[in-house]
Parts: sequence; C-alpha cells; structure tokens
Amino acid sequence: MSTGALAGVTVVELGDGVSAPFCARLLADYGAEVIKVERAPAGDVARTWGPFPGDRPDPEASGLFFFLNTGKRSALVDVTTTDGQAALRNVLARADVFVENQRPADMRAWGLDYASLADASPELVMTSITPFGQTGPCADWNAYDLNAYHFTATGSRYCGARDRAPLEHGTFSADFFGGYVAAAWTLGALYGRAVVGGQHLDVSTAEAVAALFTGAQNIGAYAQEGRFERRSGSGMSLAAPARILPCADGFVWMIALEAAQWDGLCAAMGNPDWAAPEIFRDLLERGRNADFLYEMLEQWTLPLPKQEVMDRCQANGCPTTAIYTIAELVAHPHLAARGQLVTLDHPVLGPTTVFGAPIRLPDCPGGPAGPAPLLGAHTAEVLA
Amino acid sequence: MSAPANLPLAGIRVANFGWSWVGPVAGQTLGFLGADVIKIESHARIDINRTLPPFAEGIASPDRSLQNHAGWASNGSVTLNLRDPRGQDLARRLVAHCDVVLENFGVGVMDRLDLGYDALSAVRPDVVYVSMPAAGLDGPLSSVRTYGTSLCSIAGLDSITGYDASGPVTMENAFADPLGGIVGAIGALLALFHRRATGRGQHVDYSQQEGVLQLMGPALMDLTMNGRVAGPIGNRHPLGVGAPHGLFPCTGDDRWISIAVCTDEEWRGLVAAMGAPAWAGDARFATAAGRRGAIDELHAHLAEWTRDQDDHALADALQHHGVAAAPVLNVADLLHDPHYCARGTFIEVVHPLGFTETIYGAYVKTSRTVADVRPGPAMGQDNDRVLRDMLGLDDDEYGRLVADGVID
Repeated sequence: MSTGALAGVTVVELGDGVSAPFCARLLADYGAEVIKVERAPAGDVARTWGPFPGDRPDPEASGLFFFLNTGKRSALVDVTTTDGQAALRNVLARADVFVENQRPADMRAWGLDYASLADASPELVMTSITPFGQTGPCADWNAYDLNAYHFTATGSRYCGARDRAPLEHGTFSADFFGGYVAAAWTLGALYGRAVVGGQHLDVSTAEAVAALFTGAQNIGAYAQEGRFERRSGSGMSLAAPARILPCADGFVWMIALEAAQWDGLCAAMGNPDWAAPEIFRDLLERGRNADFLYEMLEQWTLPLPKQEVMDRCQANGCPTTAIYTIAELVAHPHLAARGQLVTLDHPVLGPTTVFGAPIRLPDCPGGPAGPAPLLGAHTAEVLA
Repeated sequence: MSAPANLPLAGIRVANFGWSWVGPVAGQTLGFLGADVIKIESHARIDINRTLPPFAEGIASPDRSLQNHAGWASNGSVTLNLRDPRGQDLARRLVAHCDVVLENFGVGVMDRLDLGYDALSAVRPDVVYVSMPAAGLDGPLSSVRTYGTSLCSIAGLDSITGYDASGPVTMENAFADPLGGIVGAIGALLALFHRRATGRGQHVDYSQQEGVLQLMGPALMDLTMNGRVAGPIGNRHPLGVGAPHGLFPCTGDDRWISIAVCTDEEWRGLVAAMGAPAWAGDARFATAAGRRGAIDELHAHLAEWTRDQDDHALADALQHHGVAAAPVLNVADLLHDPHYCARGTFIEVVHPLGFTETIYGAYVKTSRTVADVRPGPAMGQDNDRVLRDMLGLDDDEYGRLVADGVID
C-alpha cells in the first residue's frame, strides 16, 4: 500500500487524450490507486498521438500517453456492450472516485452517466471533464483543446497580433488547466464525502479558463463600462517594460513595474543616458513612451545572451527572466536539484523521463509510482 | 460570516497571507468548497490589485476595484499591519485557530515576519502550511524574482507560444497565477488528507514553475524521444496530429472560427459541410498523413470558404456534420454567449458595500452542494468576527490597536 497522501483511495478513470488522464495522474502521483479503463479495441486515443521514438507509430510507445498515465493500471473494456458496461459498473462499485471525459450523450447511451450510477454508488464522487460541460447548448459538441481554449476569449484578449488570429499557448492549455481544476474540486468533494455524501462534479475546461483567467480580470469591467479590450500584440497595455524581447541566443521576458525595479534595470544596463530622465521612473509614463523604450532596451538585449540579461537584471532587483526552451529546462540544474526529472523503466520504451509531481509534500512525497501501463495489461486482475 | 455547514470543507479554517492573484485564488478554491478563508492584508502595504481601475460606480477605492473581486471572491479579510510585532502576534494567534496557512511571498519573507513554518507550527502543530513561491523553496532558482505574467518564461511555456519559428509572442497576462492558485489548493487538500490519516501537518512547497512545467509534458517527450526542441506552432495541434487545425476568419471585426480535424470521419464531415468542393477531392487530402503534409494549402482553401460566413452559424453547421468547430469568443461574448448564460458562469452579486458587480460564480457545477460564492472582500470586513469574537480582544485592546495602526 502506498504511503502517499491519498493512500487507500481508489480512482477509476475512463479517459482519452489529456484532461481526464492528467487529473487522474495527479491523484496517482499522490498515492491513489488508479484503474484506467480503456475503451476496446484501441484504448486511449493518446496512444495514437505520439510523439513516438523515430516517429514510428506504436500504441505502446506514445510519449503523451506515457506522460499522462504513469502509475496507473490499465483494463481494456468494450463499454458499448452490456457485458462491458456491467464489468465497469462492478469496478465502480468499489471505487471512491470516477473521472471521465467522454461525450455526455455517449455516457448516457452506455448507462454510465451519474444518474445511472448514483443509486448503486451513493458515495461515489464522479468528475466529468469535457470541453463545454454537461449542460448548456454546446454540451454535446465535438471539440478538442483548441476549440475549448478559444471559447474562453484568452487568445482574443491576451495573445497575438491585433490583425492576425488569436493564439493558443502551443500545448493542450485548456485541457491541462481543466485537469488541475478537476483534481482540486474532486479532492474537496472527496474530503467532505463522509458528511455530505457523494456527488457529480461537472467541469468544463472552457468554462474554467474563461472564468478563472480571462473572465476574472475583464468581466466586471465590461459589465459596468460596456467596453472591453483585445490583445495588443506588444505586451501588457499601459505598463512598460512588460514584454518579450530578443537576445543574442533567444528571448527574455523583460519586466520592470515598480520604480525600484526600473532603477535596477537601469543599473543592469550601466545607467545609460537615455534612461536617465526622472519621468521614466513612472510606470505609466514609461507606458506612454513604450515604443522608444522598447527600441532602446532591444539595443541592449540583442547582443547579449539571455541568461546574462537575466542575471544582470536579477542581481539589480529587476525581475526580468530568460525564456527557457524545453532543452534548456531539462539541462537546468534547478530542476535536477529539485528532483523534477524522474526516469521510469518501460517494457517497450525502456528508461523514459518525465517530470516529477508538481507539488512537494515533505511528509508524504508524491511522484510517478511506475511507468504507464501497456494496453489492457491489468484487465484480468481488475475485472476479477 | 461563516460558510454554510453542508459543504465539503465546512469546519476548515484558512489563514491566507497570499496576495496578488495566485494566493487569493488558492483561498477562493477552498472557500468555494466551504472553508472559512481569512485573508490577512494591510493598508500599510496595499495589494496593487486593489488599486487598479475601473472601480465600481467609478468611485476609486481599494474596496471597489472590479479587476480583483472575481479572483478574490469567497476570501474574507482581516487587516493587520504585519510590520508591527503586535500585528505579527495577532496573526500567530489567528493561525492557532486555523487548519491551513497559504502564502505566496518570495522565499524568506514570511520567516522575516516571524510567520514562517517554524513559528506557525509552534502555535498550531498540525498546521498545513502551503508556500507558493515562483520556483520553490530551494534549488538554484529559488530566489528568482518574477511576476505571474512573466513566470511562464522559466517554465518554458513562453518558448512555444507564437505564430511560427520567428519567435515567441507575449501572453499579456498572468496565466500562471490562477493556475497556481488551483494547484496550491490541491497541495492544501492533499496535506489535509495526510493530516486526517496521521495527525501531522507539514510545509507544502508548491513551485509555480513546476505547476506550469506540466504543460510542457508533450514537448519533454518529443525532446527525449526525438531530440526535437519545441517552438511556436501557432494554433496547430501540439503533436501535429490534426489537419486542418487552426483559426479561420469569418465576417465581422476580429471574428474567427476554430476548426480541428483529427480523424478521417471528421474530415468527411467537413467536406460534406462544404458541399464537396473540387479542391477537397485532391487525393492527398484523403488520408491524415496527406492532410498533415499539405496543411498550409488546406488552411488556405478553408480560409477562403470561411471568410464570408458568420462564425456562430458556421460552427452550428459544422457541428451538425460532426466537425469540432466553435466560434472564437472575445471578452464581451463571455458575458452574452448562450452557453455561459445557461451555465451561470458569470453572475451579478451585491457587494457588502452596496454596489452591484459581475464576477464568475461556481465554474464547476456540483450536484449535491452549492458552492459558497461571495464577492471579493472589503478590507477588514471580518475584523470584528475574527479579532473580537475568535481571538477575544476586548474593546480597550481593540481600540488601542486601531489607534496604533496595528489593526489598520
């Protein structure tokens, strides 16, 4: 038995892709026993998404699948048949948590929706994570991360050139965010279950980002003023410097908001004459002169390595940071010192490295408990 | 005002020293679930988020900043000047009544206020103490200074956000903050489970860098498996699976539709929705690999087709054919979209000071319990409840501490 914070908790996951598998993996990281039910015949769609070593597709060699499913067991079940549905319901009868991200209409057709499960499992915490949630006119829409993410106004408001398309982060941003949100609320519901009973949590990845990120700092103002802003394409509006700037070998996130930070930036640059005027110590005044400011700052950053810009700024109290690539992060001593790179052995992939758990609990450490499972590797023992 | 007793975290009390955005969201998450969350703040070092316009009814005041109330909802507020040792003492006495402490200062700040883990576990041995610094409590980067807006730089996320290989594009707000607040709440809940099992508290270390790092998982795997270093890819599929996969222009100012095709079935649906134009019959487009190989050409054709259409009507039509498509919303749309209206995503609330404002409500729908959503707090609104009723300050002492600016 695990010694993690969630020792003794049994989780059943019926997940594909990113959102539900990520949520259940977080629970596995901290000691829950996670049974991943994969839909026959092919299993989790992430098995077909790669990346694959040498770009050779192999359902047992998907990097995305590995990353999101460490420490789980896999049972292969055909949930479209009555036998498969009965088998899954049998497993759910001894589960504390059920995490899924199937389309609501499919779950109803399979008799696996909350209404169909609640009578037999009144203590079950069921967490459904879909792009648009269980209710509302878009609930049964077909959608991927891209569709959900851009339903949140995040790109429209905050990322991209004004005359070009709004941008996604370049990863499964809404799915990961929704997975975190689902894990938090699942743990909350589970913690109080003895008092309030089991229940169904309806998580929309789009709604989570729309509310917590873009809605949070825009909706109150829009409701009152009737005006709203869009992406500027050139950093934070009003304040400067607050944007990405190029260096000799990459980019830095150049930021100095408080007067002392501006002073620090000036010191880092060797106090050039152009930056000396007293009015530049005012944040909004710098914002009004942003074009000039960025042009001059870029002349300073462009010949320098990004780490040097970061180090000089940080040493002088200016919070500018380097933009690290994934390769630089993996090589960075900070992640090594914190044990954030964990290597697990896998029968097909061999030794494979993933990130450690994102929260450190010194008295009950988390982290991946084992490699991702082979498709259906634990079907017999799980269904027995 | 305490939380209703039928919520999952009823009976859990949280001292929230968190500020800016990440700390308040961590507290709010526990608050929505029923915890009694008391934010400790001060007029002597006012949170910059309280000073940002616009203000409710146009009246400038730290209690009326519309920008912070949604993210701060369901936190209470007690005002203590923590630069004064008497303020620190009151904070320690408050923590003795709390299960959880949250903070997101730089490493060492709470220790200097004599409010670090050692000091607070001395008054409350089983306290769950959650620190949420930028890059964790130890390691070579632990003293790094960042803002939430720029934190994604050291987590790699900024390196993959942009149109193409020409370089990253700035995400113009602090995505890492609300994300970090949620992950901080996960840390608190995990430690509460552990406390229930063992009776022991602990000092939880949430590095905001590591929370965002998880989003780089796909890039990590492509690096270790194939040696490829991920860069900006616009709105393309993070692993190159879908084609087409992007945003396409529609009629109107800055109107777009997102379309993602990852299966042959979805492609056939798209072709049918378009009325099977001749170009779509190109043999290359019949297979997923062929579509991926000709994605630029595919996107150009598709943009020509979407350009004269309404985003919402087109999304409906494409969904009718089983295609993953949705309008690209802007801020105004969030408030008016029928889907968010049906789900009650944004709600109007009356603030204790009497004005009406719009914030987000329970963004997760719970079938049995009703989330405890209360407007972002007026500064010091819980002073009486906490300092008089809970800590037992009498009128003389309370008055003296107010006069001395300790309760401020």
